[in-house]
Amino acid sequence: MTFDCKDLERALAVPELLPDAREHAKVCDACRRELWLWGEMSTVAPGLREEWETPDLWPKIRQTLVAQQKAAKRHGLRGFLGGRLDWRMMAGIAAALAIAVAIFIVKYARPAPAPAAAQDSDFLTEQTLKEVENAEVAYRASIDKLSRLAQPKLSASENPVAISAREKLLVLDSEIDNVRSTVSRNRFNAQLQSELAGLYRDKQDTLKEILQRAQ
Amino acid sequence: MPLAMAAGRLTARSDADLIQASQRGDLSAFEEIYAAHAGRMKSIAFHMLADRADAEDAVQEAFLKIYRAAGAIHFDTVLAPWIYRILLNCCYDTGRKRKRQAESPLAAEPPAIPNNVPLQLAIRHALGRIHPQYRMVFWLFEVEGFRHSEVAAILEIPEGTSKKWLFEAKRELKRLLTESRA
Repeated sequence: MTFDCKDLERALAVPELLPDAREHAKVCDACRRELWLWGEMSTVAPGLREEWETPDLWPKIRQTLVAQQKAAKRHGLRGFLGGRLDWRMMAGIAAALAIAVAIFIVKYARPAPAPAAAQDSDFLTEQTLKEVENAEVAYRASIDKLSRLAQPKLSASENPVAISAREKLLVLDSEIDNVRSTVSRNRFNAQLQSELAGLYRDKQDTLKEILQRAQ
Repeated sequence: MPLAMAAGRLTARSDADLIQASQRGDLSAFEEIYAAHAGRMKSIAFHMLADRADAEDAVQEAFLKIYRAAGAIHFDTVLAPWIYRILLNCCYDTGRKRKRQAESPLAAEPPAIPNNVPLQLAIRHALGRIHPQYRMVFWLFEVEGFRHSEVAAILEIPEGTSKKWLFEAKRELKRLLTESRA
């Protein structure tokens, strides 16, 4: 084969052609420089690696993990939550506690209501739950619609951002399935309902972001 | 440095052992995972965020997520690609939170490549001007020393795509460097 300057690019892609390229480079300054540059990029690249000391980083991580472990143990929730206590769960727990305190105050800090009023209160709880469930159905429908719009853009792209978004959606879907399954066994649990709503919001935000990026 | 070498410090206990121990709340096991990967994670995060404090925040967030998620992973999962995927996601989140471009702040306003600078510096400048996907593969393969199979697992792309993107990255860099030095 007669190797020419225009064959250099192909030779860089096909290692079998490199000996021919090197032979040609002996008599061609331009190709010699390009070949040198090609190899040199790999030689100097590891020097781009950024290294610095961070003696405080592990202690900070450890401190956070220890605090989380202690909090989980204190609330006796570690087993229940499978060690996966995150801010959404914390927020849910806080919301549930606030609701419990409010109910306690309404029930015990005021004069006892007439039986009819108690029935109203139960009825309102049922009513509220129905509203939550209806809202969830509507919310899911709108998120499904967003998913259908985003799906072609998401599956067509190999961009790291799209890859990351795909992974995030998979995790969110799995979390949503888990929480929904728990909610189905405990429909009146405000904490779980709040957690579910938070997950739907995350999914909606992620899908919106994908669509915005695609525009 | 390939993952197997990075994990060289983990010879006493396998990744699966370490994750199992971490699931039981053994922080010394989790510290071994940190020791094996934190250095490279900081470098990758710095490459993506161009700020040491941000990079440290992203690495910290990644380790907290890894610890929380450790309970959910299967023992046959290869640990390293999973760890680095979480890190990339944390970097994207950090970048978004701080109103920077997700892939790299360098891409927002690519600087011109100065001539007569050492090749290493010229490559650093040129990297900011190439496609983010190519840049990421170049960084993971050439700078951090991952193998193509590992790059593919981290970015969840076929191995052939990793090879192709690396070639494209080098071709683009060669063009930019040749132009700047002409």
